[in-house]
This record gives sequence, structure tokens and C-alpha cells, in this order.
Amino acid sequence: MFTLDSFYIAWKYIRFNRVKTATLVACITLISFLPVALERLLNESEKQLMSRAVSTPLVIGAKGSALDLVMNTLYFDDELPELISMQAANRVMDSELALPIPLYVRFQARGNPIVGTTLDYLEFRGLRIAQGRQLAVLGDCVLGARVAESLGLKAGDSLVSSPETLFDLAGVYPLKMKVAGVLEKSHTSDDLSVFVDLKTAWVIQGLGHGHQDVTKLQDPTLVLKRTDKNVAATAKLYQHTEITDENIDSFHFHGGLSKYPITGVIAVPNDNKSGTILRGRYLTQEETRQIVRPADVIDGLLQNIFRIKNVLDAVISVVALATILAIILVFALSLRLRQREIQTIFRLGCRRATIARLLAAEIFIIVIMSGVFCGALIWLVNQFSNDLVRMLFIR
Amino acid sequence: MNIKGNLTKILVINVFFAFVTIHGSMAAEKLTVYVVNYPLQYFAERIGGEHVNVVFPAPADVDPAFWMPDTPTIAAYQQADLILLNGAGYARWINRVTLPRFRMVNASAGFKDRYLEAGEILTHSHGSGGEHAHESLAFTTWIDFSLAAGQARAIAEAFSRKRPGLRDNFQKNYAALEQDLMALDRTLKQMVSKDRARPFVVSHPVYDYFARRYGLNIKSVHWEPDETPTHEQIMELNRILKEHPAAWMIWERKPMTGSLEGLQAIGIDSLVFDPCGNTPAQGDFLSVMRQNVENMESAFKKD
Repeated sequence: MFTLDSFYIAWKYIRFNRVKTATLVACITLISFLPVALERLLNESEKQLMSRAVSTPLVIGAKGSALDLVMNTLYFDDELPELISMQAANRVMDSELALPIPLYVRFQARGNPIVGTTLDYLEFRGLRIAQGRQLAVLGDCVLGARVAESLGLKAGDSLVSSPETLFDLAGVYPLKMKVAGVLEKSHTSDDLSVFVDLKTAWVIQGLGHGHQDVTKLQDPTLVLKRTDKNVAATAKLYQHTEITDENIDSFHFHGGLSKYPITGVIAVPNDNKSGTILRGRYLTQEETRQIVRPADVIDGLLQNIFRIKNVLDAVISVVALATILAIILVFALSLRLRQREIQTIFRLGCRRATIARLLAAEIFIIVIMSGVFCGALIWLVNQFSNDLVRMLFIR
Repeated sequence: MNIKGNLTKILVINVFFAFVTIHGSMAAEKLTVYVVNYPLQYFAERIGGEHVNVVFPAPADVDPAFWMPDTPTIAAYQQADLILLNGAGYARWINRVTLPRFRMVNASAGFKDRYLEAGEILTHSHGSGGEHAHESLAFTTWIDFSLAAGQARAIAEAFSRKRPGLRDNFQKNYAALEQDLMALDRTLKQMVSKDRARPFVVSHPVYDYFARRYGLNIKSVHWEPDETPTHEQIMELNRILKEHPAAWMIWERKPMTGSLEGLQAIGIDSLVFDPCGNTPAQGDFLSVMRQNVENMESAFKKD
């Protein structure tokens, strides 16, 4: 049907009218790319959200937004849910129905969430050390693969926690943590996190600290008041901002650790029956904590996302229709403007069919170019969908 | 005949390999248990027998309560199937290291409500945190033999949860251990009941549970067995003796001759009741405790 000549002439025409062609290609590319990309990204976000939610049986936290609790516990979102105490984890342990994994996701280090937890979390998620060693002592941290990559850190380096508020001059000093190891890539939120022992998170908060033995202070400027039962130290008393072999013995916690704060608890029930019994224990009116199945919460979230997606699809369809009509109009007007050119071709002896072939070749080239660009963009989205979802939807 | 001979050989080889495999898998199923003090090691070995491999990595010359393991040792604790803790704040290093919570067993959790505070606490304050104290609980729980039996029970339960198939075995071993511990408990109770008012001075504040269980009338000083007491320490003892006329001082280990003679000069005899927190140079937990009970008898025999 098409001959090489018609493509040659069409190509020459397209090259001559670069701006018009570029605009048409861009319109067709975008209108075909948008719905496909949206579909891919939503599918990927569904996959990521659901896989992590399904692999986390139960989450316990303060009563309030279940979504905030799940997003903080599973994806280490910055939205801080109301705090609960370690008593919540102990209660699960004492019930013998499930194994509790406490989490305290509140602080950050150079823009990455610090996840205070126990070794059981790393075991539960199957996170293995790629370089260095496991968390061992207070002040150690283990980095997610992408944190290590982006900050250029390796085992043996150090990382300083970020102050919660920049202007809190009287607040707790940031803690210089030792990078004990780097985790293998897991392609989850764990890659973007800094893991510390729960007790290290409490040290970051200032609940645990290390300082000179106040009972043995000789410098009078360090002692505000001394009685038989209490020694009040002045603000000059130096508190360690780094935990080392030399000062680790001076680090201590005040009061029972069961009263210390956490953001949530992942409960891993022994079996389905234990999980159901455990859930039943959080149903009373007086209960101050909630227990949720992350899969249910994320499913609800996805329902909303898909409802929005349907609206978006409708909007895109209308826009696509308008664009197609505009493109047809552009071609129609273009034909009118090119009336003299078409007449000249006709007078040169070309048949009407040849002229039609020339115009069809132009359209064909424009569509093919749009298809190539659209394909390239979709390929890019596929390549980076994991990261894009993390950037746009999850974090 | 030849075929029969070959078949026999094949059968013997198969049986041999089957035995090696079964034996190997049984050995692989042995629980690796890390403990924080010697009494727990003894209880775990008595209860677990051949089914457990109990490791107590603290060096023999340190007090395990105040020891801090190095990083490779912490890593070894992290790899254990079970980590037995004494509880009551024993081994403060636990709060400074990262251990898998799921595999930790506090052997004294069952009697948390019976923990004792360790003497007077000095509070301190700095910054905006208000007044606070470095809370301290008495932790030598196992020299109250009824509590020791409670700890042993918790260990037996933990082993049974890990190896349900061996529950009967563990329970049988626990019953034998409990019998030994409660025999010591009865002997001490009977011994002390003869004269509950008899005053004692103890060289270290580690006998709180012991004194509470058996009704001993004790006052504590802080003397080291391998150091000669200072003038201030002797003055402090004299002050105590005015209101608490003890004729005996109970030591954790045999004290220096100078200390013995100094005490004898003021009419105080010495006896050893070794809490046995670390591995004894000779014997085992039970033989050390039997010796301790015998040593105590001398105080109640002599007027």
C-alpha cells in the first residue's frame, strides 16, 4: 500500500514542520502513556503495600487512626501515632498467644527513619547482614541497603541522629551511633531505614543516658544541692553523646523499662485461634489500645485509591477524547492550509490515492514516533516503579 | 553365596549410615543454651541432661553480675536457642546489649512480686528529668532454695516448650533437682528455727533473699574477702555491733588471715556461705551449697 517514496515525502514534510509534529507526538504520547503508567504504578503500589501488610499478622497501638498506626509500623511513615508503653508488648508476651515485636519509629538520621526494635524484627522480616555485623551493644545501628548507598556509609562509620526540633536548644543532644553493619537489599521500606535496638532509641530520646557518677562528683560547680538521699547536679554535668567501650557502663535507664514509650507492636500469633483470641481481648470499651490486621487496613486504603483511580480514568478518557478530536481538527485544518500544495501535487499528475497515501504516511510516522516514546516511558516506569511507588505513594 | 555376602555387606553399610544419620540429627537437635550465671548453668544441665548444651561464657575470675561480654560473646548469645536470665536486675549488661527477646527466659519472672530492693538508694537529678534513682534490686535469688526451685521450674518449662517431645524427661530431671534444693531448704529452716534472734553480720549485701527465707537476723557491711578492712570499716562494724551483737560474720569467700584475726580479736568468728555466682573451683552448685549449710551449722552449734 505504502511506497518508500510516500514515506520519503512524508518524512520531509514532518521534518519541515518540526514544531507541529513535536506537538502532535507529545499529545499522542502523553494520552497513551498516562493511563498505562497510572495502572502500572497502582498495581505496583498494591503489590508492595499488600505484600508487607499480608506478611504482618497483627499490629497493636494506641486507639486512633488505624491507618497512621499501620503506615508507621509497616512503612515507617513520619506520621507519629499516639505513643503506647512497652507494657503493651509485655502484655502480648504474657498472654502466650503471640510473640510481640515492639517498634519505636519516631526519630530520624539525615532524613531516614530510625527504627528502634528488637533483634526479633530483623529475624521476622528475614533481613540479613550483607556487610559488618549484627546490632550488639547500645549505640550500634544497622543500615538499610539504600541508606548506606545514599549516605555512602559502611560498617565502622558513624551516623548522628537528627534533633526532633531544630530550635530546641535545651533538648537532648543528638547521639552519634556506630554503624555496625549494612543489611542486604530487601526492596521494602527496610532498605530506607536505620535500625537500632529499642534501648538505643530511648537513649536518643534522653530516657537513657550516661554521665559521671553523681555520687562521686568533686567539682562543686557540678553539684547544685547535695543531701543524704539526693544529689542534684547542675546543667554543667556532661552527658555522653556517643557510646563507647569506655563509657558504656555509665549508661542507665531510670524506672522500669515497661513504662518506656513505643509506637506499635507487631504481634505474631502462634496460630489462627491464638490470633482470634488475642484480637478479642482488645474489644472492650475501656481498652485504650487497638489491634488491627494490617491487610484489612491496607485493603481499605487500596479501595479508596481505586475509587480515585476510577475518577482519574474517567477524566483521562474525556481528556483523551478531547485530544483525539483536537488532533483530527489539526489534521483537517492542516489539509485546508495545504490545499494549494495538494493541488500542485495533483497537477503534477499524482492520483488522489497517492495524495491520500502521502497523508496516511505522515500520520503513520507520527503515531509510530508517539508509540516509540510511549514505549520508552513505560519501560522507564517499569524499571523504576518500585522506587517511584516508594517516592510517590508510600514515602 | 557371593551374592548373599554382598547383600549382607550392603545391609551392614546401610545400617551404619542410618545410625550415623539418626545420631547426627539427634545431636543437631541439642538445644544450645546460654546462661548469665553459674547456678542457672547447673540447673539447666541437671534438667536438660544430654539434650542441651549449656554455655556460661563469663571468665572464672569475674563476678558475672558485673561482667560485660565482648562483641563476639554477645554474637554467640544472639545465636543461642535459649538465653536464661536470672532476673531481678542481675547482669546489668543485658540492658546494654541487643539480644533476641523471643529467646530470652527470665527464670525468676514467676516470682517478680517477691523481688527485694537492695538497701538504701541515693537519688540524683540533672537536666529536666527530675529526681531519679539507679534502681537496684537484690539479685542473689538462688540462695533462697525455694526460689532456686522456682527458677529451675521456669527452666524446665522453657525447655519443654522448645522440645515438647522431651517434656517428661525434663520434668523428671527437674523433680530430682527440686528434691535436692528443697532438702537444703528444710535443713536450713530447721537449723535457723532453733534461734531466730541470733544476730549475724554479712560481709556483702548479697544475703537478702537468704535472710528473708530462713528468718536470719543479719546486718550488712561491705568488706572484701581479699582486702584488709580499713579503719573506717572497723569503726562502722563496731557501731553496728553496739545494737546488733553478732558473734559471726558470713563471708562470700574465705577472707584473708588478717581479717579473720582482726574479727576474732573483737569476738567475731567467720564462716563462709558462698553464693556460687560463678563456677566453683571444686565441686558443683549442690556440693558448694551443702558445704555452706554445714558451715552455717557451726554457727548454730556454738554458743
